[in-house]
Amino acid sequence: VLRLVLATAVGRLAGRLSRLLGRGGSAVPGLVAEKLDPRTIERLSAPIRRGVIVVTGTNGKTTTTKMLVGILEGEGWRVVTNPTGSNLARGIATRLLEVASWRGRVDADVAVFEADEAAVRNLARRLQPKVIVVTNLARDQLDRYGELATTAAHAAEAVRHAGVAVLNADDPLVADLASGAPAVRFFGAAEGIRRSMPHDSGLYGPGEEGAPSALDLSLERAEPEGDGQTIELVSASGERAAVPLQVPGAYNGYNAAAAVLAAVQCGVPFARAVVALEEIRPAFGRGQVVEHRGRRIKLLLVKNPAGFNQAIRLLAALPSGATVLIAINDLDADGRDVSWLWDARVEDLAGSGHCFGTAGIRALDMALRLKYAGLEAWSETDFPAALRRFVDGTPAGETGYLVPTYTAMLRFLDLLLPGTSRREAWS
Amino acid sequence: MTDLVIAHLYPYEMNIYGDTGNVIALRRRLEWRGLEARVDPVPAGTPYDFGGADLVFGGGGQDRSQLRVAEDLQQRAAALREAVAGGTVFLTICGTYQLFGRRFLTQEGREIPGIGVFAMETVGGRRRMIGNIIVATPWGDLVGFENHSGRTLLDPGQKSLGKVKKGYGNNETRREEGAVTDNCFGTYLHGSLLPKNPSFADELLRRALQHRHGQAVSLEPLDDRLEHLAARAAARRP
Repeated sequence: VLRLVLATAVGRLAGRLSRLLGRGGSAVPGLVAEKLDPRTIERLSAPIRRGVIVVTGTNGKTTTTKMLVGILEGEGWRVVTNPTGSNLARGIATRLLEVASWRGRVDADVAVFEADEAAVRNLARRLQPKVIVVTNLARDQLDRYGELATTAAHAAEAVRHAGVAVLNADDPLVADLASGAPAVRFFGAAEGIRRSMPHDSGLYGPGEEGAPSALDLSLERAEPEGDGQTIELVSASGERAAVPLQVPGAYNGYNAAAAVLAAVQCGVPFARAVVALEEIRPAFGRGQVVEHRGRRIKLLLVKNPAGFNQAIRLLAALPSGATVLIAINDLDADGRDVSWLWDARVEDLAGSGHCFGTAGIRALDMALRLKYAGLEAWSETDFPAALRRFVDGTPAGETGYLVPTYTAMLRFLDLLLPGTSRREAWS
Repeated sequence: MTDLVIAHLYPYEMNIYGDTGNVIALRRRLEWRGLEARVDPVPAGTPYDFGGADLVFGGGGQDRSQLRVAEDLQQRAAALREAVAGGTVFLTICGTYQLFGRRFLTQEGREIPGIGVFAMETVGGRRRMIGNIIVATPWGDLVGFENHSGRTLLDPGQKSLGKVKKGYGNNETRREEGAVTDNCFGTYLHGSLLPKNPSFADELLRRALQHRHGQAVSLEPLDDRLEHLAARAAARRP
């Protein structure tokens, strides 16, 4: 205990110093505390009354985490969660330190932690989560994560440490994780939706279909409405609910199903979980709308071909003439290899009648991708100039669609909402 | 009417790093000149007559797919070697490039036989060679992105694709990249390779059209300003 108290105190002090030095709310406290007590995470998380929930996967982690936190807070529970992006061990340790008392006690009912796919194996072992949610597994930034088989192996190791695994039945790589989990609950979608969401092996060919699993929660409908959509969820016991969501896209319907099913595993009744969903606002950059110079800028973060295809599907369904700015950076957090742009189905935007611009360090790569899909675009590598041109091209009162990679999104949010990215960014 | 037949080797198995972009580029650059390409997917286990193809493309894959594909490739070895000897144009990238050598020795010491079109061997290493790469070739500087742990060693006398100006290439020491035998090209460059290297794309198309028609063919020039600007921007990246 003494060691933990010391680690907590020094870690928090380090955090305060780091902020004083203007380095923002980084992962410094977690790093420092873990040096002093390598079991900081274990010790701080163990007393959390209803246990820990871990959310991992390639796409949808942040949104699913946010939805789950909203549902659990709706129960009146004290929930600890990590801010988006801080999904490695040091980020989670930092968050636990922030909410711990000086004696190193975390007073919380439940914790919901988003975990990076490469870190989840280690984190699950240390957190021994009551529930683990795996949203989907697709190829992502191969220079950073390596091969998809490696990511799947990490997830397979992680689910062993969870009480129950909440798995996407429609993603064969995720469904395969069931064999290693102590208990499993499946979410998935009706056939029409499932077919519109190809999983990784289906991205490039006929795909591999596993035997369909019996669903514990099914997404039966997902129809666009306003900035979001209305979805319909049906539980295995026949409970049914139509829910207006503030986030668009069938993929967010999947995230909602995952969040509800995980909440039910924690004892939240289905009916209350779905009501809480309505209130949940889009996560940072994931369908978030920002007002700017009389226009509405809708952000659709993309990180990999599967996520890009989801954004493309959403854009292709819009009425003709929308303004779209695609911003591609190639820093470490984005993935240095931009080859993945060629794996996305950009051709599906041909005939959309939208007006395209490209921005970011690799604006020209994106412009070239559009050219080979038969689409013209203007390009601007300077962020303020690109934003100005994009906004000028969007009629007042209308919505413009900004599709950035991670660090490009931070740059734009700094321009749209000064100070945001500093709070959200991670070291 | 089909003006050119492109065989896409293992499109469902070997498709990481945007290699499909090369097929998009070839097809588009023909279309922009009023020519039409037919693309035949050739997945593992499906019979295919390479005698009917003018250009064969094969991309990079994840380790597991590469193993599966290596066995299938052995079944086609004689047909593919015959096509190379007959002047069919080949572009092989990363995983397929490695398997067009004599063999690939994995890091665990396992031997995966190749089909021996290129006089070379590849040995798996621990450290990956990752980053933007520039290679000087007879068709100008090629710009791409490499990401491989295999180190490829060309036999003396095996022609390389070019000299590495930035990055690693076949291995860290020799500053050479890729291999060329007749009309068969091998390289580690993703990116996708062809969209940002239009002169090289056109060289492949010219050779493939010549192979089909038995005489030299000239291609109408295209406006490649965007291609060159994008290549220049990529060349400056780490």
